[in-house]
Amino acid sequence: MDLEKTITSLCLAKGVSGDETEAAELALSILKEYTDECYIKNGNVIGHLGIKGKKPHILIDAHIDQIGFVVTHITDDGFLKISDCGGIDRRILSAQQVVIMGKRQVNGVICSIPPHLESDESKVPEMTDICIDVGMSKEQAEQVISPGDKIAFAPHCEKLIGDRICGTSLDDRCGVAAVLRAIDIVKDKTLQCEVTVLFSTQEEVGERGAKIAAFDIDPDIALAVDVSFALTSDDSELKCGKMGKGCMIGFSPVLDRKLSERFRKIAEERDLTYQIEVMSESTGTNADRFSVNRCGAKAVTLSIPLKYMHTPAEVISVSDVENTARLIAAYLEGATE
Amino acid sequence: MNKELLRELCLINGTSGDEDKVRDNIVSKIKDHCEYRIDPLGNIIAFKKGINRAKNKVMVSAHMDEVGMIVTSVRPDGTLTLSAVGGIDPRVAAGRPVSVGEKGISGVIGSKAVHNMTSEEKNTAPKFGSIYADIGAESREEAEKYVMPGDRVYFRSEFCISMDGFVSGKAIDDRFGCAAMIEMIQSELPYDCFFTFVVQEEVGLRGSRTAAFAVDPDLAIVLESTTAADIPLASGEKRCCELGKGAVVSYMDRSTIYDKELYRLSKQIAAENNIGWQTKSMVAGGNDSGAIHISNGGVRTIAISAPCRYLHSPVCAARLSDLEDCEKLAAAMLEKMCQL
Repeated sequence: MDLEKTITSLCLAKGVSGDETEAAELALSILKEYTDECYIKNGNVIGHLGIKGKKPHILIDAHIDQIGFVVTHITDDGFLKISDCGGIDRRILSAQQVVIMGKRQVNGVICSIPPHLESDESKVPEMTDICIDVGMSKEQAEQVISPGDKIAFAPHCEKLIGDRICGTSLDDRCGVAAVLRAIDIVKDKTLQCEVTVLFSTQEEVGERGAKIAAFDIDPDIALAVDVSFALTSDDSELKCGKMGKGCMIGFSPVLDRKLSERFRKIAEERDLTYQIEVMSESTGTNADRFSVNRCGAKAVTLSIPLKYMHTPAEVISVSDVENTARLIAAYLEGATE
Repeated sequence: MNKELLRELCLINGTSGDEDKVRDNIVSKIKDHCEYRIDPLGNIIAFKKGINRAKNKVMVSAHMDEVGMIVTSVRPDGTLTLSAVGGIDPRVAAGRPVSVGEKGISGVIGSKAVHNMTSEEKNTAPKFGSIYADIGAESREEAEKYVMPGDRVYFRSEFCISMDGFVSGKAIDDRFGCAAMIEMIQSELPYDCFFTFVVQEEVGLRGSRTAAFAVDPDLAIVLESTTAADIPLASGEKRCCELGKGAVVSYMDRSTIYDKELYRLSKQIAAENNIGWQTKSMVAGGNDSGAIHISNGGVRTIAISAPCRYLHSPVCAARLSDLEDCEKLAAAMLEKMCQL
C-alpha cells in the first residue's frame, strides 16, 4: 500500500457528517482488497477479519466524516444561509471556497465583509451572519440546492517539506488510512481473534455513527483511531503532542488502563516511536461511546498528531500514520484470549 | 472576454514588486502586436499603431500586481512570520494553503485548533503579527534551505467559471484589466494608443506614476476592479455597486475626482451602445487614476471598473457579463477620447 497516496485520495473525497457517501464508498473500495465481508450499514463502513466468534472481538474504528456546513435557507437574492456541522472556527471562514453537495456539486465562496462595511477588523462573524455566494439567483439556486444539503470546504491535499501533508479533512481520513495500513501489514498473517473494522459516521456532531455500529458489533475491545493536537507555536505544550513523534496513546479515566499500558509496551518492544496523551476526563472521541456500549468494552484512543485542526489546511506527518498503523498491527498479531 | 486568458493571468503569482512572471506572460502575448519597452520599475509601456493617427495622446492602463504577503522572519521553530503586501484583511488569511517564494514551496497559514481556544480567542480575529506560515520545516535551519525573508506568500485558490458566467478566484483585481488590454492590443484599433501594464498599484499607485510621466498622455483610461458589496449583509448605498449591472464608472473616489465630461460621456456612450453602466453609491477606494490624473501637467482621466465581490481576498467573485461591458465601454471610450 502506498500510504501517502491512500491518505491523499481519502482526503480529497468529501464526507460531511450525515452525508459521508463519497468518502465512505472510497474507503469501502480500499477495504474490499482485504476482506470480502464488508459493506455499508446506516452509513457506517464495516468490514470483518480474523476468526469469527473467536475472543477477543476487537473493533478498530476511525471516523469517516469531516466537519462542514448544512444549507438552512436560500435568500431572495440567491445566497445560502448555513448552519455548522461540527466544531467550526468562525475566525477563518471569510472567503473560503466550498462545495455544496446539491443535486450536482456547486462551487461557492463564503461571503466576506468588505472593509468599508466593517472597520473593526478584530470582529469575528456570527454563524447567523455567514452566507455563501454561489453566483445564482434564488430560482437558479433552488433547482440544484435545497435546505439540508451539506457543504464541504473545497478539497485540497498536498505535500509540504519532509513527510508532512496538508489537506482539508485529514481529521480523520489519516486515521482511516492508518487502519487500512494496519490491516495491510497483517494481511498475510493468521489472526487469533475476531476483528471488525469500522469507519463511522457523524463523529463530529457527537459520535453517533460509532454508537449504533458498536451496538451491532458488540466488541470486547475497541480502538478509536483519531487525530489529536500537535503542538503549534500558539498553543500549550500541556495540551498537545508533537508532530513526527509517533502515535499518541491515550490514558484517561474512561479508557482501559491495562489496554493503554499494553500499547505502550508493544511500542517499547517494537521500537515504535510513541507519545502518551493524558486526558483527565472523557476523550472527545468515539472511544467514549465504545466503552459504555451494551455491557461495556475496554477502549483506548490511538491518536495521530495533527496541526490546525478543523481548518481547511490541517497538517500531519506520514511517519506518524505509519507508526500508528504498525502499533495496531503489532497489537492484532499478539491478540489472543 | 477570453476566459482562458483571464484564468491564465489570474493564476500567475505576482504581488507588488514581484510582478516578473505576470510581465513575462503579458509580453509573450503582445510582442508581435505592438512596440513596447520595460521601464526601470518594471512597467510595460506599449505603443499600438492604429489605422489612423489620433488627435489626442491617450493612455490605457491596468496594474499587474495583486495583494499578497511577504515573509518577514523565520522563527526558531521553522515557522514564518508574515506581513501584508497591499490591503489584505487578516481575517481572510488564516487556515489556508499558501505558496511561498519563487519555487512555490507549499505551506499553510496555521491557526491553533478551535478546541483549545478560550471563548475570547474564538471571538477575536487573527491579525498580522500573530499569524504565521508553516511549510513543514522543523527548525529555522531546515526552513532556511527553502525560504528567506522577503519571499512572497500567495494564496492557493481554485479559479472557477460557472456555465452562466460567474467567475471566482484570486487576482481578478487587476488581471482582468491586463486581459482586456491584451485583447485590445491583439485587435485592430482605429487610432494610435499607448498601453501601460503597471507595477505596485496595491502599495500606493507607484508604477502608474512613472509610467504616466514617461508617456505624458493627454487623456487616460484606467481599467480596474472595484468593490461590489451586493451581499445580504449590506443594503442601500452600502452595496457600492452590484454584479450583473455592468461597467462601474465613478465620479469620485478617495484618490481622484474624475473628469466630469468623461464621466458623462461614458454614461451616454453606454446608453447608445446598450452597454451595462453603473456608478458607485459611495465615495470609497482608489486606483491608479490617483497618480495618473495629477501626473505631468495633469491628465483627464476616467476609470472603468469591473464590479467584484470579496476584493483583496483569496477568492474574488465577478460576472463575465460585467467584464465584457467594461471591455466594450473601454473600446468605445478610447475611440471617442482619441478625437475629443
